[in-house]
Parts: sequence; structure tokens; C-alpha cells
Amino acid sequence: MQEEDKPMSESESLALITAMINKAKCDYEDTGMSTLLWGGVITICSLVNFAGIQLKINGTGNIWLLTYVAVVVQVFIAIRERRRKKFTMHEDSAMGGIWISFGAAMFMFSYYTSIFNVPSANTIFLIAYGIPTFATGYTRRFRPMLWGGLACWVFAIASMYTPPPYILLYSSASAQLAWFIPGLILRRRYLNAKKGNV
Amino acid sequence: MFKELDPILHSQLRLAVMSLLLSVKEAEFTFIREKTNATAGNLSVQVQKLKEAGYIDVVKEFKDNYPNTKCHITPVGIKAFEEYVKALQEYLKVGQPKL
Repeated sequence: MQEEDKPMSESESLALITAMINKAKCDYEDTGMSTLLWGGVITICSLVNFAGIQLKINGTGNIWLLTYVAVVVQVFIAIRERRRKKFTMHEDSAMGGIWISFGAAMFMFSYYTSIFNVPSANTIFLIAYGIPTFATGYTRRFRPMLWGGLACWVFAIASMYTPPPYILLYSSASAQLAWFIPGLILRRRYLNAKKGNV
Repeated sequence: MFKELDPILHSQLRLAVMSLLLSVKEAEFTFIREKTNATAGNLSVQVQKLKEAGYIDVVKEFKDNYPNTKCHITPVGIKAFEEYVKALQEYLKVGQPKL
């Protein structure tokens, strides 16, 4: 595309517009790091907590403090990815707003459930997990996250009829379906795209 | 009577830049250069022409201590692009054989 005023027919113009719009869309890249991080952390926390309850080991609930470490790591990932990005999509700020509100809501839910005796607190968490996940899958047209968000809500309904310790297994399954597996898919796509650009 | 095609947009590189910027919120100069395969000099000239027409905004800033140029399409640019596509469709409609 070196020449400035190369004559174009009407159909060539339309073809060029379509090609450039597709190029921009295909170039959207998510490294998958954030989704992998949260999918991994929530799975580990849920399973360790569940194992602790089953084996009657005290203090395994403290494993959830790992989520605070994950928040710090998440901030580093977000800063690094922001610096690296060469363009922003129209929906980027909306998506950022949704995930920040989710983070704030999770922090408040955690505090609320730690000071009041809320029956089946994990059900609330499962409902909350589904909101940003489904919204992201829907907006980005990324089916694995769309299904992941729906899975969170299915597990939330199931958790209303399940004894408390077993709900932790639903939490880990939700984290896998909503974040870890989509994260692996995104990571593979990102690495393949990177390989293709070299 | 056919509407005349906007001469600012009816150029391969400028149209490519506008189509790209229409799909994103904003893009760095290097990204546009990668996607259009244009030379930096040629792209600079075309970006300047689009800016002078009020179709895009160009923001110069620093990123990691290096100068960085970011571009985004303006509402005037969006309107012009829509009119251009409409005009193209009119031309193509007439060019199609009637069944």
C-alpha cells in the first residue's frame, strides 16, 4: 500500500474497507494471563478449603488470603499489558469498568460474609462470578467465557440444594470453566499469533 | 445523479487508515503502519491530510520515554466515512445487472 493515489474501483474500495476492519478485529489479543491467574487461584483455594474441611484440618480457610496476593499480581499484569498494547478497542473501557466493579463487589462480599453469618455465602460468590464472565463472553463474542458464565449460574442454582462443603467443589469447577479453560484457549491463541508475527 | 466520491477518502492508503481507525477506539502510529504496510513517511503525509480534513485526531505523547503518536477517528470522520460508503453502494447498485 505504498502509492498514495492508486486508482480504485468502487468494489475495490469496499473490499479494502472490509479487509482493514477484519484486520483490526483479528488483531484483538488477550494474553490470557489474568484469566489463567484467577482460574488457578480460585480452583486452588476452593480445593484446599474443601480438603481441609473433609480432613478436619484447622485454618485451611486462610488459603483464601491467596486472593489478595493474586490482586497484586493482577495489577502488575494489567500495567504490563496496557503498556504493550498498540491500540484500544471501543469496548475496552466498558470491560475494564465491569471487572473493576466485580473486584470491588467481591471485596465487599468477602468482608460482609466474614462479619455476618450468611447462609451459603459461596452461592452469592458463584452468582457474582457469572456476571463479568458472561458479559465478557457476550461482548467479545468469545463462547468459552459465555458458557463459563452460564456454568457459574447453573452451579449457583445447584449450590442452593447442596450441603455447604460440597459447594466448594462447584466453586473450583466454575473457576475452571469460567476462567482457567478460557484462559488456556486465549493463551494458546496469543502465542500462536505471536509466533505468526515473528 | 451520483454523489461525487470524497477525494480525501478515495485514496487507497487514506481509506485503509480510516477503515482501521473506525474499528478501534484509538491506535498507535506503529500499529497503523504494520496493518497498512505503508512506509512511515508516506503514512505521515496521509495522516496529516486526514487530520487537516478534520477526519482524525492525532495526539503526540511519550511512552516509556519515547515519542508515541496516537490517532483516533472524529465524529466528522465517521460521518464522512458513512457518506462515502453510501455513495459507493449507490455506484455498485447501478453497476449490477438487472434480473
